[in-house]
Parts: sequence; C-alpha cells; structure tokens
Amino acid sequence: MKPAAVGYARAGDVQEAVALLSQHGTDAKVLAGGQSLVPLMSFRLARPSVLVDLNRVGSLDYVRDEGTSLLVGAMARQRDVETSPLVAEAAPLLAEALRHVGHVTNRNRGTVGGSLAHADPAAELPTLVTGLGGELLVEGPAGPRSIAAENFFVGPFTTAMEYNEVLTAVRLPRLPAGTGVAVEQLARRHGDLAMVGVVAAVHLGPDGSVDLVRLAASGVGPVPVRLHAAEAVLVGAPPTDEAIDDAAATVAAAVRPPDDIHAPGSYRRDMAGLLLKRAVKTAIQRSEASA
Amino acid sequence: MTITEPVQSQTKYTGARIRRTEDPRLLAGRGQYIDDVTVPKMLQAAVLRSPHPHARITGIDTSRARALPGVFDVITGQDLAAVADQQPVIWFPIPEQRIARTHALAVDRVRWVGQAVAAVVATDRYVAEDALELIEVSYELLPVVADLDAALAPDAPKLYDDWPDNVSGSLTYRNGDADEAFASADLVVGGSFSHGRAFGCPLEPRGCIVNWDSFEGTLDVWLSTQSPNLARDLLAEVFDVPVHKIRVRTPHIGGGFGNKFDFYGEEVIAAVLSRRTGRPVKLLEDRAESFVATGHSRDQRLDFEMALSQDGTILGLRGTSYGVLGGALGTVGSGPPWASVLTSMGPYKIPNLELHLKAVVTNRAPYGSYRGWGAPKGNLVHERLIEMAARELGMDRAEIRRKNFPAPEEFPYFTGAIFTYDSGRYADCLDLAMSKVDELGWRERQAEARAEGRHVGIGYSFHIEPSGYGPSRILNLAGLAHSGFDEAVVRMDSGGKVTIYTGQINIGQGTHTIYSQLAADTLGVPMDDVVVVTGDTDSCPYTGYGTGGSRAATLGGAAILRASERLRGKVFRVAAQLLEASPDDLQIDSGTISVRGTSGPSVTTRDVGDAAYRRLLDRLPDDEMPTLEEVDVFDPVNMATSFGCAALLIEVDPETGTVSMLDCLQAHDCGTVINPMLVDGQLAGGLAQAMGGALLEELVYDEEARLRTGSFRDYLLPTATDIPPFHFYHQETPAPDIPGGMKGVGEAGTIAGVSLVASAIDDALTEFGVTVTRFPVTPPRLLEQIREATSHKEGSQ
Repeated sequence: MKPAAVGYARAGDVQEAVALLSQHGTDAKVLAGGQSLVPLMSFRLARPSVLVDLNRVGSLDYVRDEGTSLLVGAMARQRDVETSPLVAEAAPLLAEALRHVGHVTNRNRGTVGGSLAHADPAAELPTLVTGLGGELLVEGPAGPRSIAAENFFVGPFTTAMEYNEVLTAVRLPRLPAGTGVAVEQLARRHGDLAMVGVVAAVHLGPDGSVDLVRLAASGVGPVPVRLHAAEAVLVGAPPTDEAIDDAAATVAAAVRPPDDIHAPGSYRRDMAGLLLKRAVKTAIQRSEASA
Repeated sequence: MTITEPVQSQTKYTGARIRRTEDPRLLAGRGQYIDDVTVPKMLQAAVLRSPHPHARITGIDTSRARALPGVFDVITGQDLAAVADQQPVIWFPIPEQRIARTHALAVDRVRWVGQAVAAVVATDRYVAEDALELIEVSYELLPVVADLDAALAPDAPKLYDDWPDNVSGSLTYRNGDADEAFASADLVVGGSFSHGRAFGCPLEPRGCIVNWDSFEGTLDVWLSTQSPNLARDLLAEVFDVPVHKIRVRTPHIGGGFGNKFDFYGEEVIAAVLSRRTGRPVKLLEDRAESFVATGHSRDQRLDFEMALSQDGTILGLRGTSYGVLGGALGTVGSGPPWASVLTSMGPYKIPNLELHLKAVVTNRAPYGSYRGWGAPKGNLVHERLIEMAARELGMDRAEIRRKNFPAPEEFPYFTGAIFTYDSGRYADCLDLAMSKVDELGWRERQAEARAEGRHVGIGYSFHIEPSGYGPSRILNLAGLAHSGFDEAVVRMDSGGKVTIYTGQINIGQGTHTIYSQLAADTLGVPMDDVVVVTGDTDSCPYTGYGTGGSRAATLGGAAILRASERLRGKVFRVAAQLLEASPDDLQIDSGTISVRGTSGPSVTTRDVGDAAYRRLLDRLPDDEMPTLEEVDVFDPVNMATSFGCAALLIEVDPETGTVSMLDCLQAHDCGTVINPMLVDGQLAGGLAQAMGGALLEELVYDEEARLRTGSFRDYLLPTATDIPPFHFYHQETPAPDIPGGMKGVGEAGTIAGVSLVASAIDDALTEFGVTVTRFPVTPPRLLEQIREATSHKEGSQ
C-alpha cells in the first residue's frame, strides 16, 4: 500500500492552481484535505502524475454570510464549518449533515470542497448541496463560473468541472427562520458512509401547511438525487401522515439504487422511502419547535 | 471432585486488579513492533498476488522487474520450490484426510485470489511495489468453486485433479443411539446455521525479518508470531535446516487472535530472498494484503437437529458441520471445524450423538486459526437449538438450560466425543447471570419499551470453553503433529531478583503481568522484583503448542507456579544455612526470610543470591548446586473447561432491520482468577469480536470467488461506538487438574457472543416469530426475515 511516485506542486492562489492544472493536464489532481484521495493513492487506484496542493491557498478557507445565502470556501475544514455559529444559524442542515461525515479526526482535515469535488454518491455533502439547490463556484482559465448542484454531479466520482478548473466555494440558500431540518441515515456503523440517507428541510406556513420543502437522497444511484416528486406532493399541503406516506411512495420511482456487498438495491430503494418519512417528520417537529 | 467455594486469597497479588505492567510503554507509543525493527543492511520485499481465484500459471516474465533500479531479486514459485518444501500442516484430526498443501509461492496453479505467485526484494518497499507492477504473469483461467454448494455440486470443477471431488475428508462421532433417540422424541428442532467468513484482524498485520547467514548456515528470524517454537520447528522442516541453527525472536505484537499462531508462506519467502541476496529481508503484510493473506476463519455451515422429550430433556443431537476450507489447507488444517463438532453439545448432557464433519475445499483463501477455534459455531448449534426447543415447548429459556446441565458432582464429565469437562457449576453460573439481569432492571426496561411499541429483547448464551490445549499424547492421538506441554524457567540471580523465561508470547493479553503475580506470590518477593522474558527461542524454553488454545495462564502459569515452588524450597535451604535454622521453619515476605514465629534475624533474597552465586564458602550448603534456577515442564492430564452465561439487551428496528445493543453482561467461571481486570478485558474483547462477527464482519466472496471486502471501508470491525457497556461477574471453580486452579478465558467472549446476539434479536422480534440462523445479521438480511415472517403469519391467518 505504497503510492506510486507522484509530482507535487504547491499553489499559492487559485490562479496558480488553475495554471498548474492546465500545465500538467488531466493526470494532475487537486489535493485538499486528502481524506479520500490519499487512501486511493495508497491502493494505487488513483495515480495522479502531480498533486496540486491547495492547502496554502488561505483565501478559500472561510464561511461568509451573504444575506439570502451562505458562502462556504472550498478549503474550509469540515470540522470548522460544523462548529461555526454562522453555519448553525444560517444553514443548520449543513452542520447536521457534517456530523455524519466520517469521524472528527477526518473532519479536522477534510474540506467541504474536497468532499464535493470527490462526488461520492453516498456522501453527505453532495446530497445536502443537491437537496438545498446550492450552487458550486468554480474557476478555470476562462475565469469563474457557477454550476447548479443538480448539474454539478454527473456520475460516481465525476463532476461537471473541467480538468483545469478548481472548486472555490459552495453557495447555499438561507432557508426561512423556523425551517426544520433533519438528516436520516442507515449506516452499518457510526461514521461509515451510509447505505442510504435522506436530508430534509421543511417550513410550515401560517396555516400549518408546508410552504417550503427540500429533500434529497444519498446512496440511491450514480449521483445524489433531489426528490422533486416527493417535494411536489408535500408542498402546499398540510403535513399529515397520509401526505407524508404519499410523498414517500414517490421515492421508489425516483431512484435506482445499485447493489453492493452491504445491501441490495431494493433495500436501499425501500429504505429511502422510509427515511424520507422519518426525516420529514423530524424536520416538521423541529420546525414547529422553532416557529 | 470436591466443589470449592470462591477462593479466599491468602496472597498479595493473585486475585488483585493489578494494572498491566506492559501497558505504559505501548500507550506512550514506545513499543517496538515488527515494522519498527531494523537490522543492518536490511532489504524490503513485497509479494505479487493472484487476481484470479483459479487459474493455471502458463508463464511469468520477471525481466522488466529485475531491470528496475533498486531491485535486488525477483523470485517465482519455481525458484522457491527449488529450496523450500511445501507449507506444513500440523492438524490431522480426520483419518486418511486428503491434505492440500502448496508452496509459499504458487508453482503452476493458483487456487484463491491473493495467493502469492512472485516476490520482489528491493532497497525499500516503494521500489518493491513498483517492481511488482512490472512482473507479467500469464494465466489460463479455470472454472471456479466459489462456495460450499458449488464445491459439493455433482458436476463441480475440482480444485485437485487427482481427488475424486472437493471433499478433503469426513469424520463421524457417535455416542449412544441417535436414531433411537430421534425416533422416540416428543420434539425435534433443527436448523441450518451458517457463519460467514471472518478473521481475527489484528490492527498490526503480520511481518517478518529473516537473515539467512550462508556461512554459518543459520536463520535469524524476527517474526510477529504467537508461536516462535512452532515457527522454528516448521522452518526447519521446510528448509531441512537443523532446528538449533534457527533463532526466532518476536517483537511487540499488535494483536494476535489466533491467526498469528499459524505459520505462513511469507516467512518462507523472506528466507529464500535472504538466502539468495545474502541480505536480511523484511517482508511486511500491508493492510490490504491482510484481507487475503492472513488466515480466514469461521466459514462454516452447520445442519443440526436436537431431539427432546416433552419435559425439555435433551435426548439426542445429530448433524453435519461443513468446514468451508480454502484452496489449500492452512497450518491447522480442518482443526476449527472439527472443534465445532466436538463442542456442539456445549454444556448439556446429551446421551445420544451422531456428529459429522465434512471438510471441503473451495477457491477461497486458506482457513486458519481465530480466537474461539471452532467453538463459536459449536455454541451456535446448542444455543440456537435449545432456544428453539424452549419456544416450541413453551418453557423458560433458563429453565430448559438448567434442566440439561451436568450436576457439579457429575464431573469429570465425558461429552460423548473426545472432550471430558474437568469441573463446573453451570447452574450457579446461570443463576448468577439471571440475578444480574434482574438487578440491572433489564426486564423493566424491556417492558417499558414494549409498551411504547419498541422492540427490545433479552438474549442469553451459555458457553463452554475447552482451554489449556492440552495433554500432549491425547493431542497426538487426535491428529496433532505437535505437543501441548509448556516449559518454564524461573531463575533468581546473584542479587536476589527473579527472571521468568517462558515460551508463551504476549499478544496484549497481559501474560507478563500475571506471570509476575504468580511468581511473586509463590516466591514471596515483590512483583517489581520479577522480570518476564519471552519471544526468543535462543533464551526461552520450549512450548509445545504456542500461545493459543487459551493455555498461557493455565499451562504457562502452572509451569511457572511449580518451578517457583521448587525454587522457593532451594531459597529456603540456602537461607536456612545463613540463619542456622531449619528450612521447614522459614517464612518469606517481600523478599525477607525469617524464622516463623520469632522476631530474630532475617536475611533477604539478595543474601541468598550472593550465597548461591558469589560468596559460597560456608554459606551455600555443601550438597546444593550453585545458582538458583528451576525448570518445570507441565503437561496436563486433562484440559480445563471454563464456562459462562452471557446476557444482552438489544433493540431492533423492524422497519430497517438495524440492531442496537444496549447493555451486556457475562457471569463467568475460569477457575482461579489471577487478575480480575485482565479477565474482564479478555471477556470484553472477545464479546466485541463476536458482536462484529454477529452483525458486521464478513469477508464477502462473490459468485466468481472474488473477494469483495478489500479494506476497512467494507470489512467492518466494531468500534467503541458499536458495542454495548459490559458488566462482568466472576465465580471461581478451580481447575482440578491445573496447579493453581486456573482455566482459560481468552476465547470466552468469542464463543458466546454470536448466539447471544441471535438470542436477543429473536426475543426482540417475538411478535414476528423470527429465528436468526445466518451470520452476520445485516440489516437487509434481518429485514427480509422479518418481512417473510410477517407474510407467513398473514398467509396463515
């Protein structure tokens, strides 16, 4: 488990990182927290020619309040974001989801941008960003651009970024005050990537009906899945058990989970519906609690 | 035997919760494991492994690897076979068994994914691994035998062309008349129980450094092993080198769990590379390799049925244990599946037995030792079946167990198949556990949870642990090409301090601490005055078997006790001369020897040491040999069988099939408890491993016999957050055949834990009528069972 020889280049800023990636071509890889990439290199499953290290690019390590949204720099460490008072207030679902990412030691080192760029369809952060309809800010030779989450994740471990683009930040919409959030997962052990997971955010209007709902599932296909059909069932309706059951019933058609050694796809499909019910109910409880 | 009440300790150390003397260094990160050991001019090796489960090797081109700068040598199976014999097998429990042996590097055919086919030695491991990628092996793929059913299919491909099928051997034990018992029974319960592949998975993988000195004809070996004497004997066999030319030393060992008892091909590969290069060679198994190269275990199916009368008396047990062996036999052959058969009656009196063993080869990695060594699956048979019977008969689960125990006065108790249990108070131990379940309020917790609609259950497992393997001649008779005695040297030096030399190895279980406790108490010296030396075949004595079979405290401890007793006699004789008294009148306390009942003069062990080693004149009795040293060899007349009753509080989510373990206890009897804290640690560690095997850990082979669990991402060890709190309670029924009365405890938790989890799950899901038979119990598997039970129930309504 010794990695093959690899080149190393330290980027001082984003422009330099982009230049290095352009120079070294498709075999170069960006090194952020290294929590996924380095093990893959030790297995020689990843064999980059050069590592472009972003760890000295201090300008990407931030959490910023933009009023209607929250901007998180790509090199912000997961543990810092998880414990940030601003995140707790502006995007509580992000803090909640981060608690399920690996263990504290992983999150001390792991970055928000690293997890998103790695694009594991079972991981929490891609699912969360997909569910909240976030956008990914990337920068390449032609300058910056923004990609909607649902267009960013295009396959397992594959994103819409060009080889010479760098993920710089993720923007998450600030949800209305009183929104309840929940993360429901089935993991074999604490800290494992979940077999299947659902994130939910629900806001109730003055009449008690759902006026905002965001739902997404992990571990159910090649990319995280925003559960639009389930959202459509719930929005505008009172959140009765019946309505929630109807919403959950839409999940089976929306996902095509794979089989793996931990669970057959049919289990994941069924559990996605069940977790959706549980997540929505928890989110509603919390929403009422904070209203 | 007479039943002894809990031993009232007259001594200072034995029975006390003494912290392990081994720990501070390890906790501070200052241990020296095999990876930390460096010898001058050392090279590093790496092994190329087969990606195919079954294939003929049609060619190997090593030229590009040889040309890589930094590479010293590359060897294939043919190079190795020119100087080394096939890998040895030491257990032959089945008469006329076909023994599938293989060289440490495959010569012409591979039979499992991960089988070693070539090896590189280079300046460092990075270069060695680079060179592995340059070796080109041509394979002609052969049809695979992926699992037990595939192996036994009528038209199955054969692993060994000269065998009639894939069965290595079969064996039957009969006692009484099973047919008659089943014909006359009021109730027969049966099941097919299967345990997935798992392994002991020490956090430190295996490793060795071998220096073959061609001038002296010697092998100097550093090896992460539990059995240095066995490794030395087997290296001598493989290379036809005299035993006295081989030295095996062990560094600190980061967990053993049985699989480091076994003898592996890597130590042979490293030796060949060292011989060819004239340089010491280090060969470490990395984490990824450990999943294919360290002995797998547990893989078994057990089809058994139990006959009972209406009142719950067990009349008979019959069935077959299928050992799913790999593509070649490991060091212990079919030993563990054999031990499953021998323990399948457990703590119960079953007069009529018909027990079959069938050992089958497949295209999986070889089967090796793992803590419990067959007994966890024997336990599944008797504990699952007795609970199924209790349910059918409407009997209380404790009551039906109690009804079938041998009474204390019935010991020594012959099980009907090989083992004779030495002593036991099974009902007392069961009652102790049940009383603690009450005290801890589990029944109230369960009732409250059920009232809330939650599914909380209480599970039980009663286990027996045959320990202190074993009387040498009986082991030989049972087919072991090795012995079971243990030798110890206890020496007091010229300064009056004590050194113990033993062949036992410390793998984290605390042998150094307990040996110091035993010797200090017996000799009457402070524990700090005792040093324990292990892990060097040049300076330490022979152990017949090694550290395995729960024999370190029992047999190693007994030998140390007996040697210490005799040494104390000599110390007294010398002291008597110094004190001008009779040895019979002396006493010793904290190293000071005086005449009992007087306040007169005293001498210390330092004075005695001086008299025995340095200033002998007028001080050492004329008829005494100088020096203070005693050797003892202890070969037991019988094994010591410990036992326990575990209980577990569990919650199941019937919508997802997930299981949460809430609380756990074990009442246990391992005879004399030398150190309760260490016994607790052994019980906890064993239970944690069993819980891993029950719920999480599985080496998954697919239908093509490819291993799908190649890392800790997929092979799920339980962590501290995945196990419940533990409570332990000890009763002490001293082993009648072991000086000191100790029985083994190292494997207790692993034996009891899997059926324990199953019992608790069944109880939690009483309303569904689920009986768990397949392990590990993963959420999808359990959910499927719940759904089947539900639809079955609805269908029958």
